[in-house]
Amino acid sequence: MPDTRPVEQPEDGRVGVTVDGRAVRVPKGTLVLDAATQAGVHIPVYCAHPKMDPVAVCRMCLVKLSTSPKLQPACATVVSDGMAVETRAPEVVKEQEGVLEFLLLNHPLDCPVCDRGGECDLQDFTQRYGPPTSRFPITEKVHFNKALRLSDRIELDQERCILCWRCTRYYEEITGEKELVLQQRGVHTLVATFNGQPLTSEFQGNLPEVCPVGALTHVRYRFVSRPWDLQRTASICPECSYGCNLNVDSRDFEIKRFASRDNPLVDDMWLCDRGRYSFPRWNSTDRVRRPLVREARGGVPVAVTLAGAVAAAARQLAAVREERGPGAIAVLGSPESTNEELWLLRRLAREVLGTPHLDHQLERFAGLAPAEHDLGIAETEECRAVVVLGEEPEHRAPVLRLRLFKAETKRGVRVHRLPAGTAPAQAVEAVGTGPGLVGVIADETARAGAAEIAAALAAAGATVKRLTVTRGPNGRGAKDLGVTPGLDAGYRAAAEGMSGREILEAAAAGRVGALVMLNGAALAVDGDDRDLLERALASVAVLVAVESRPGPVAQSATVLIPGHSLMEKLGTITSCEGRVQRVRAALPPATATATETGVLSMLAGALGSTGWPSDPIAVHREIVTAVPAYAQAGNGGRALFRGAPA
Amino acid sequence: MAEHRLLTEHFGMEGIQTLAGYERAGGYQGLRRALRELTPDDLVAQVKASGLRGRGGAGFPTGTKWSFLPGDVHPRYLCVNADESEPGCFKDRALIEGDPHQLIEGTLIAAYAIQAPIAFIYIRGEYFDQRLLLERCVEEARAAGYIGRGILGSDFSCDVIVHGGAGAYICGEETALLDSLEGRRGQPRLKPPFPAVKGLYGQPTVVNNVETLSNLPHIVLRGGSWYASLGTEKSKGTRLFCCSGHIERPGTYEMLLGTPIRELLEEECGGVWKGRRLKAFQPGGGSMQVLLPEHLDLPLDMEAVAQAGSALGAGAMVFMDETTCMVNVSMRLVDFYHHESCGKCSPCREGTYFESDLMHRLERGVLAPEELTTLSDICDNMNGKCFCPLGDTATWFVMSAYAAFRDEFEAHCGAGRCPVREPRAAEAVA
Repeated sequence: MPDTRPVEQPEDGRVGVTVDGRAVRVPKGTLVLDAATQAGVHIPVYCAHPKMDPVAVCRMCLVKLSTSPKLQPACATVVSDGMAVETRAPEVVKEQEGVLEFLLLNHPLDCPVCDRGGECDLQDFTQRYGPPTSRFPITEKVHFNKALRLSDRIELDQERCILCWRCTRYYEEITGEKELVLQQRGVHTLVATFNGQPLTSEFQGNLPEVCPVGALTHVRYRFVSRPWDLQRTASICPECSYGCNLNVDSRDFEIKRFASRDNPLVDDMWLCDRGRYSFPRWNSTDRVRRPLVREARGGVPVAVTLAGAVAAAARQLAAVREERGPGAIAVLGSPESTNEELWLLRRLAREVLGTPHLDHQLERFAGLAPAEHDLGIAETEECRAVVVLGEEPEHRAPVLRLRLFKAETKRGVRVHRLPAGTAPAQAVEAVGTGPGLVGVIADETARAGAAEIAAALAAAGATVKRLTVTRGPNGRGAKDLGVTPGLDAGYRAAAEGMSGREILEAAAAGRVGALVMLNGAALAVDGDDRDLLERALASVAVLVAVESRPGPVAQSATVLIPGHSLMEKLGTITSCEGRVQRVRAALPPATATATETGVLSMLAGALGSTGWPSDPIAVHREIVTAVPAYAQAGNGGRALFRGAPA
Repeated sequence: MAEHRLLTEHFGMEGIQTLAGYERAGGYQGLRRALRELTPDDLVAQVKASGLRGRGGAGFPTGTKWSFLPGDVHPRYLCVNADESEPGCFKDRALIEGDPHQLIEGTLIAAYAIQAPIAFIYIRGEYFDQRLLLERCVEEARAAGYIGRGILGSDFSCDVIVHGGAGAYICGEETALLDSLEGRRGQPRLKPPFPAVKGLYGQPTVVNNVETLSNLPHIVLRGGSWYASLGTEKSKGTRLFCCSGHIERPGTYEMLLGTPIRELLEEECGGVWKGRRLKAFQPGGGSMQVLLPEHLDLPLDMEAVAQAGSALGAGAMVFMDETTCMVNVSMRLVDFYHHESCGKCSPCREGTYFESDLMHRLERGVLAPEELTTLSDICDNMNGKCFCPLGDTATWFVMSAYAAFRDEFEAHCGAGRCPVREPRAAEAVA
């Protein structure tokens, strides 16, 4: 018999409750549901959702409370001191069976062909809490539309819907777009789009995840897999710098879907469609698979071993350095590489090759300084006001929009969306003078303007923090670690060098003798940039490239070493707010050669600098020793450079 | 003892639907007195002293409801619940048609008591003519200075807006009414917060029934203690009873609370029609439990009727004679709730559908006897577990009828017909 007497406790803003005899102390205002979770007691819910306000419509979570004669919804009732909660009382058990019988009354029971089978709350709770049979005649079921295409991404099965309102509330409370509505009433109620218009939201992909059953499903996951056949790998979304946490679900060495992985400080469990549905590109089999060497430009490519390729690269680079000096060598990384790879690339450029021409992106936007990365994503909710400059930040990092909507609607933060070229005085006028935390969010193109606005707001009395939305999944890591001209790791000043675009222009003009590219094709994928890249590649004598995909770089390389995609390796990437997060190998590598860190370590060795770490974990250890901010960030924390030299 | 006419005193009087006629009958004196002689706090105290309880069904003390408003939050709103949709209930219609300015005066007095700058009269969509009448009366009252800025030279201003519903029973539930008034789907809101704290447009709101408010001019003029002298210990004043069903003179009768039900039936309604005997009656509209002839001597008193296992509800008396099939009546009422369920919570949405399916099969005589257990079991799974009272009340009549007329329910099982309404059909076939 467990001791159910409330324990005498000091006044600490908490209340003591018991859940099925287990005593817990929870903050005042806690919901019975959350108190039960804390006590380790499971209460089944359908309508309740951790990110949404309670509605108490499904009635699945009714529990017996010592404070009420009637059963009460755990999802909407706040605990009081000394309350005793019973979740397995006979009347609760009967009620749970009753609600499940009701929910299954008009449910089609088509689990064998339902995409949700195996991860469906209706299945799971029926197994765990439900009645063994239904007393309702199967011929009397109400029928609705099945497989209703709501957009090119989402399909709705109105028969499977249990009307928990999560999807309509998602659109009301999370995105504010209100694209789904309830129509009709009573047992004929259905979820639909207004007037049958297709969904247009950028965040539709979250719908199948908020749906507790198989009513809302991904078009791209239709009849694809059962959850138990999927292999799940925790990783980071590779589409932008925001750093949304996700699970990579793969089967038979193919990614079948990206699923959200709640990080309340970053994504708050929401993904944008651009990120969520970007997974097919990682399944491409069009890959560079073995090392090739051309002894001269335009020569015949010869397949070699990795050691042979590294030796050839060292030889070619050494020759250029000998002949034209280290300044004739340029090194290009990309924001799609991990911190560990970028760190070794930086060492190779600055320590071994001795060139200042090192960059990770084409453009150099003036005024790069650590102060621009001060504001945390979740910190926006604590601001008095947030200034967003231009459309770029929310365009580049769509999930930011959901965070700002939350800050605005649930925390009362004033969000001012101003044009990118707004004068500081106008921004101050919009925000108002006075103290309080004010956030300024801009992308890299508006960096200079953001700095001026931040200064003006600070002069007007506010405490100002800035957030710069960088480019690519690891543009921030490249800057922190000094893969950028004129700035070394930790934003320390370094010898001035050429930016990415200047390197390519110089190469096209014949002024670059050798180019080292790590995943460089990602820098210039289309338009004028692509032309510039091709002209540069055509004019450079030595091109050492680590590349995972065929393309202009792979075609022109004098030494080509197969690369690994971001889904095939271990490492860390740093989001725009400085959060250092791990990516993990979700797929087996498409090549048998060493990973990028190993290749860079070998190349350094071949150029005479031995003893480099080659595996990502050892490289990361080197980073945290050299860059204290990364030591403080640890795994999943933020690297902050406050007080670092500007 | 006959009818006690207080609210219905001027019913049928020449010109009572016009402002002039109402003023001739002494109208708007209550409002005048309230504004000139009483502070809002005095008024709340008077209404508390009168013991007036809400006439919409739940019977909550009106003055107490008003005093729940938080002291310093403005604006507040008053909503008049004229969404009278209870099966068998038509007293609000009678009050609106019979003395519309009495309601408007009561509305203004309540608005003054709670200091509401706007009062909304939410009238059910089917009451189309009544809505036009109210709109016309509001215009008259506005033109005469009873509505608007600085009413009767006081510093109290109030506007009255008549809003028509779209025909949903659930909008009579006060929070669904508020959602509907705001232009949303009419569905009940999660409580707390209660409307007194966060109601219309998120502001403190009082929702009162038409009949409740129509009492106010009388309470103001004659005092709370006078009102408290009428009726029984806990049920004060008079109430309008809508009598329908198998009786000689159906209609609305105003009775002093405490009068025996038998007096209402026999003296006012002329007794059961066609010389038949009474089989059962519902004292409070379609939602309430069935009562039997032995309950006729109960007084019209909320506590007494509640003790007998039912409720006076909204004051709708439905009498059924000996030829009535209780299964058929239950089925009709269950169908009503099935049709009117808003669909918000699972037990009501699905339960009323299940219930309706069972009742239809029972009425046709094709239900298996063991399925009667299913019927009472699903009713138990609904009652007290739904989001709002609609789902709960959908089980009350059928369960009380099943308890009181169990043999009739059982006789339907497997009979292939209704043994009450077609007693000889089976014999003819045989």
